[in-house]
Amino acid sequence: MSSYAIETVDLTRVFRSKDRVTIALDKVNFRVRYGVIHGLLGPNGAGKTTLIRILSTLLLPTSGEAYVYGYDVVREASKVREVINLVSGEDRPGYGLLTTYDNLKYYGMLYGMKGGELEERIRELDELIGLREFMDKELSVLSTGMAKKYSLARGLINKPKILFLDEPTIGLDVENARAIRHLIKNLIEDGVIETILLTSHYMKEVEDLCDKVSIIDRGRIIAEGTVEELKNKVSDEVVYVIHVYSNGKGVDEVLNRLREIEAVSGVKKSATQATGEYVLRIVMEEEDITGILKILERSDLRIKRVDRDEASLEDVFLKLVGRGLDE
Amino acid sequence: MSKIYRELLTAYARAWVRFKGNLAIKTWVLWEIILPTIFMASVIYAYKNLNAPPIFIGFVVLGTVMMNFWYNVLWGMGDVLYWDKETGKMEAFLITGRSIYMLLMGMALGGMINTGLRSATLLLIGIYIFGAEFRLEAVPNATLIFLLTLASLYCMGIIFSSLHLVYGRKGIKMNEVMGIPISFLSGQFYPINVFPTAVQMVASLLPLTVGLDGVRRALIEGWGIWELSPHIILLTIMTIVFLQIGVRFMNRIIEMGRRDGRLILRWQ
Repeated sequence: MSSYAIETVDLTRVFRSKDRVTIALDKVNFRVRYGVIHGLLGPNGAGKTTLIRILSTLLLPTSGEAYVYGYDVVREASKVREVINLVSGEDRPGYGLLTTYDNLKYYGMLYGMKGGELEERIRELDELIGLREFMDKELSVLSTGMAKKYSLARGLINKPKILFLDEPTIGLDVENARAIRHLIKNLIEDGVIETILLTSHYMKEVEDLCDKVSIIDRGRIIAEGTVEELKNKVSDEVVYVIHVYSNGKGVDEVLNRLREIEAVSGVKKSATQATGEYVLRIVMEEEDITGILKILERSDLRIKRVDRDEASLEDVFLKLVGRGLDE
Repeated sequence: MSKIYRELLTAYARAWVRFKGNLAIKTWVLWEIILPTIFMASVIYAYKNLNAPPIFIGFVVLGTVMMNFWYNVLWGMGDVLYWDKETGKMEAFLITGRSIYMLLMGMALGGMINTGLRSATLLLIGIYIFGAEFRLEAVPNATLIFLLTLASLYCMGIIFSSLHLVYGRKGIKMNEVMGIPISFLSGQFYPINVFPTAVQMVASLLPLTVGLDGVRRALIEGWGIWELSPHIILLTIMTIVFLQIGVRFMNRIIEMGRRDGRLILRWQ
């Protein structure tokens, strides 16, 4: 058995179309230890899903190597498939006219289970995840929260050693997202799954769940470590949160001017559309924000409040990339 | 558990889903039985009104029954595989490591069972309500032709499935384009000898036409196995050729699938 549950060496994936060449993964080198939840954090289009698809044998790399549970994903794809499963947060793979139970039965049969063995496995998954409430409901009528639980159960049906979770809580409300995170955490703690590779663009999710995190942007791993180690990268920085009002015009221009200030490591904005209020999060190498305030005062933006905040994982990304995860 | 058994279980699982899914549509009796019966009846009454020989009732009943299988191949294999891809089921399937051919076989078997039940009902309605007459002693010969027709149709289905995976939504248009001309050429409601020789030759390239003609010759005109041998040879050749082409196409799609992500690429 390999020393790592997942390992990639200079993994590269290029997509070519008639008029465009996209480098989705650019010589990615990363390792995931056994027995951990490893987070892959990055904005949309960073290469997270491409990486998971290569690791789960759905896509071939353009160059480089990737190993899952010690098996080469290109040459030993069938062995890889025996030890993995993939749960994509955006899908509910199954047949809408059939019940949750029937869908789990179908996927169980695809993994060679039948009769009592299959019944027992579905019962175990019910106990683990809590499916009883909607076991006899058709898949098409399940709520988003129920569908996520079903998807997780489907991903565990074959007792995989390594589980890939691609944005597992996307589209969920706070309460349901918390419930799914709790389930995911328990999978490792209870020894149900050996290793989980989780992709997300939710900071909170990664902070709550992951033992180790790799930050990916534009197909490259730009930082790695535990949440604390990553936060240490911004321990000397100062984080300001500035609430401003604007009619929307010129906000991006102001942001670009702020980014030009030498002491500014990164700036991101989030907007509250209804009130016209914008929240600017600025990571700085020094405490003096005179230069920032001057730029804001000269613009059409009206300053409502200025606060200091604790550095978070999001600020690590801001510092490394210069922009927010959702921008 | 042997690999072969696991693959066969895959085909069974997909057939079970297809069968169960069909029954889950509560209005299936309306769509599957009542509407096709009304359509079949309208053609039968047209022939009766024109004082056509009674033999034509049998033609219409068998044409309707066999056509069901053709539509099942068109809509039931290619389209289903396409929607499996669009809804993320293809990803979940490919990760299991099972053969896509077993998935297709399951789709075909499930479709055959559903269509078989529907067709058997239409056949009984044709016999007991509209008075279609068939030679009972010809049933074994007709069954042989029928099974060979199914084999070649479902091998054609593999070709359609691979084309659907490549062309995506355009594949659905392809079904529409192919549906009516093939219904016309196959002689669903009439013997194809009404066509000029050139059209008959083109029509004979379709397994449905050959199969339908063979089943009619057996059940209505009482042809024996020797007289039916051209049909048997032609359908066997078609099965082998379509299987070869289908497997070659599908293997290429699977290869492209992993290389370009085509089997998991959505909304194309």
